[in-house]
Parts: sequence; C-alpha cells; structure tokens
Amino acid sequence: MVIVKRKELSLSEKLYIPEVLRGLSITFRKMFEPKITRQYPEEPLPKTEVTRGQPRLVVKEDDTIACVSCGLCEAACPAYAITIDGGETDRSIEREPVRFDIDMLRCILCGFCEEACPKEAIYMSDELELADYTREALIYDMDKLKRPKAALQKRIDYVKRINTRWQTPSST
Amino acid sequence: MSGWEQFLIVLVKTVVIYGAVINVAALMTLAERKFSAFMQYRIGPNRVGPFGLLQPLADGVKFIFKEELTPDGANPWLFRAAPVIAALPAMMTIAVIPFAPDVTIGGRNFGTLSIADLDIGVLYILALGGLSVYGVILGGWASNSKYSLLGGLRASAQMISYELTLILTILAVVVMSGSLNLREIVEAQPTIGSWHIWTQPLAFLMFVVATFAETNRHPFDFSECEPELVGGFHTEYSAMKWAMFYIGEYSAMTVMASLTVVLFLGGWSVPFWPEAPWFVCLASFLAKTGFFLFLFLWVRWTLPRFRFDQLMRMGWKLFLPLALANLLITGAFVALR
Repeated sequence: MVIVKRKELSLSEKLYIPEVLRGLSITFRKMFEPKITRQYPEEPLPKTEVTRGQPRLVVKEDDTIACVSCGLCEAACPAYAITIDGGETDRSIEREPVRFDIDMLRCILCGFCEEACPKEAIYMSDELELADYTREALIYDMDKLKRPKAALQKRIDYVKRINTRWQTPSST
Repeated sequence: MSGWEQFLIVLVKTVVIYGAVINVAALMTLAERKFSAFMQYRIGPNRVGPFGLLQPLADGVKFIFKEELTPDGANPWLFRAAPVIAALPAMMTIAVIPFAPDVTIGGRNFGTLSIADLDIGVLYILALGGLSVYGVILGGWASNSKYSLLGGLRASAQMISYELTLILTILAVVVMSGSLNLREIVEAQPTIGSWHIWTQPLAFLMFVVATFAETNRHPFDFSECEPELVGGFHTEYSAMKWAMFYIGEYSAMTVMASLTVVLFLGGWSVPFWPEAPWFVCLASFLAKTGFFLFLFLWVRWTLPRFRFDQLMRMGWKLFLPLALANLLITGAFVALR
C-alpha cells in the first residue's frame, strides 16, 4: 500500500497573504520580459534549407519547360492532386505537357512528385502561403506553377546533396 | 447661483463623470486582454488601432450586430430585464463618489467633482450594491438552463455573504471619520499620514477581498468560470445583453476601486502636497484608482480560484468575526478617545 504524505504548510503558506504577494511579484516581473509573439504578416515564416513548400515546375534557361509529361508524378501522388495531359513538341525531347494542374486543396506537400520525376522538372519550392477567395482559384494550372530554375536553385542543391547515393546522370 | 445654473452644472458633471466611467469600463476590457497577455509572454490585441486602442470600439460594433438569442421557455420579461438590473446599480453608485475638491475654472467655484453630494453617501452605495444581486439571480433563473441556475445561485450566495464583510469594514471607516458623507471621509484624510489604510490595515485587507467577491471577480468567480459551469449565470445570453453584464461587471469594478481609494487612501489627497490645485488632486485620484483597477486584473491572472465551499467558509467563519472584532475595537477606541 502506498501512503502519500501531504507536506505540512509553512506559516507563511497558511497565512496565504505572503504567498499571494510572492505570486503577484512573479507575474509583475513577467510583464517586462520579452514577448514571444510573431507578428505574422510583417514577420515572415522562418524558412530554412530543409523547408518543403509547394511543388513548382522548372523552366530552363532557354525558356522551355523541363517537364516531358511522362506522368510519373501523377502516379506517385498519394493525394491524386496532379492531372496531366501530354502533347507533342518540335524540340528534340518530343513531349511536353499541354495541361498540368495541381489541385493545391489536395496537395499534402509530401514531395513524392519531386522524388519520382526523372527529368528534374518538379521541385518543392519554399512557398507556403495558400489563400484565395474561391476553391476554383486554388487549382493551380501550368501558368501558376512555372518558376525559373534560378528561383528553385536552393531546393535543387539541397536535394542533390542529400540524395547523392541514388543520383544517376540525366540523359538530357 | 440661480436654479438653472445649478442644474446646468450638475448636468455637465453628470455627463463628464458618467461618460468617463463608461469609457473606463470599455477600456478595461482592452486593458484586461493586454495585461493578461503581457503576463503570459505575449502581446494582446494590437491590430485594431495603435496598441489596440480601438479594440473596444470593434467589440462594441460586433456586439451590436450579433444575433440575439432567447432560449426556449425563458421568461421573456425577466430575461431581458436581468442584464439591465445587473448593470444599472453599478452605474448609479458613481453619483456619490467625489473625484476632486472644489473645481475652479476661470475663477468660478463649481463645488466638488461628484454628481451628488449626499450626506448618506455610504448608505446609498451599499443599498444600490445590494440591488445588483437581483440581476445575477434573475439572469440565472430566467435563462431556463441548469448551468445558469446553478451559477446564479452560487453567485448570489457569494455576493450576499461578502456584503456583510463589506458593510462592516466600511462601518469601521465611518466610525473613524464620523460621517457617512463621502466627501467628509476624504476630507478627514488630508495628509498621507492620516490615510485610513494606516489606522485600519485589517479593514483595508478585508475590504479589498470583499470587493473582489462582490464583483464576482477572480479568485471568487466560481459562478462564471468556464470549466465548471460553462458561463454561469450568463451562459444563455448573447450579444448586447451579455455586453451589458460585462459592462456592469467592469463598472462595478471601477466603483469598487474608487471606493477603496476614497475610504482608505485619502481620495484625492496628493501625498506630499496638501494645497494642490484641483486638477492635480483629480490626477492623484485617478492614479490611485488606476492602481486598484490594475490590482483587479493582476490578481485575476495570478491566483487560482477558490472552491465554492472554501469561499463560503472564509466569508462566514473568517471574515465576519474578524470584521466584527475590528468594528468593536475601533468603536471602543473612538469612544474612549
């Protein structure tokens, strides 16, 4: 049997007033210590190298899209957020997407699409803000998803550094 | 001074004092949020105006536009009357509190800055304070809800119990200063050495505790605490009726704080400056009242709540005998002086 002994209250605790004053002094001192609130719109969210944001499509330096509409990201996506329609192109790669929609209301920012892509065409950017007035506006089409390669360079470097073991050189 | 002039002066005083008290009650809602935030390492509302100063305005607009619900089976007259009965006594007791001595503007003397200079000021305050219990009981009863009824019963029992202590401690001060007129009580404490806090320390402590209990304020707010009773007697109230309860509570806090200052801290007397001009006296009164209002907030965010039986036991078994003993000793002292 466990017997729990209650501690006897000291005299100042029994009188209650000295303890009240001690508590009041603690809260009073806390008023002047620095606050930990982040003022959100003015102070941006903290983003580091490992931040995994929303997926974006890479546009190469010659202004052509890197994606070949192979559909591997569409197959890999666990939330069925990506929809792709392929089309022909006169470039040597012969394929490019005619429609590439990511339903941002379904995207869970997991990064499987980034891992699955064989052409280094889709990367998780550091953009995290997602707010609009209608559900239709939050289904991002190809225009909203394209980004120049330089804008995604930080993520590209990070992914390459982490995954050197599985890196095979791309044929194009 | 003709009748019309006197009427006009009293009218202006009423508008000024009453407007100030309502504004203080509104600002207290903001001050509560800001100070509680500061004590918790965060910033309170700061978006609506500079330092959130327009937040009470935004709250007021919200309350006006909110939907007014009446529970099924609630007594319609009592349901609507209860917030008003709870808020009115607090606003009426402002009338007798003296804020500053003879106000002289441009050479003309307008008398003390109080709406009415009653010779029975203390009796008036205590009588009206008793009426505010009705608002709480009716609010709990008329809502036709279990939580409200229990909350209302508890709040009224608590308020009645601590009213005794309140009255007895005020009586001790009245015995010391020999008058029920609040202005004369203040004039009996001209210098800091003659403040009643030094001659009646026990009465001061008990009075402060009793004011917390009277205004249903933490650590005595068992009747309206969220985890126990949802909202207590104001669970079923929405929008403007709830805002009336709220404003009534803050006005009562303001009245109690200024009453503490008048009775124990020398009212408008400035500590080391006996012949101060009236606006300095007014500023000193407001500063002291502000300190006690801050004390209300400070204690709320520091102390744990009393359990209801502990609360009642303290009120009847501890405070009442002590207040009676204090009154007897004071009376004996004054009689034998």
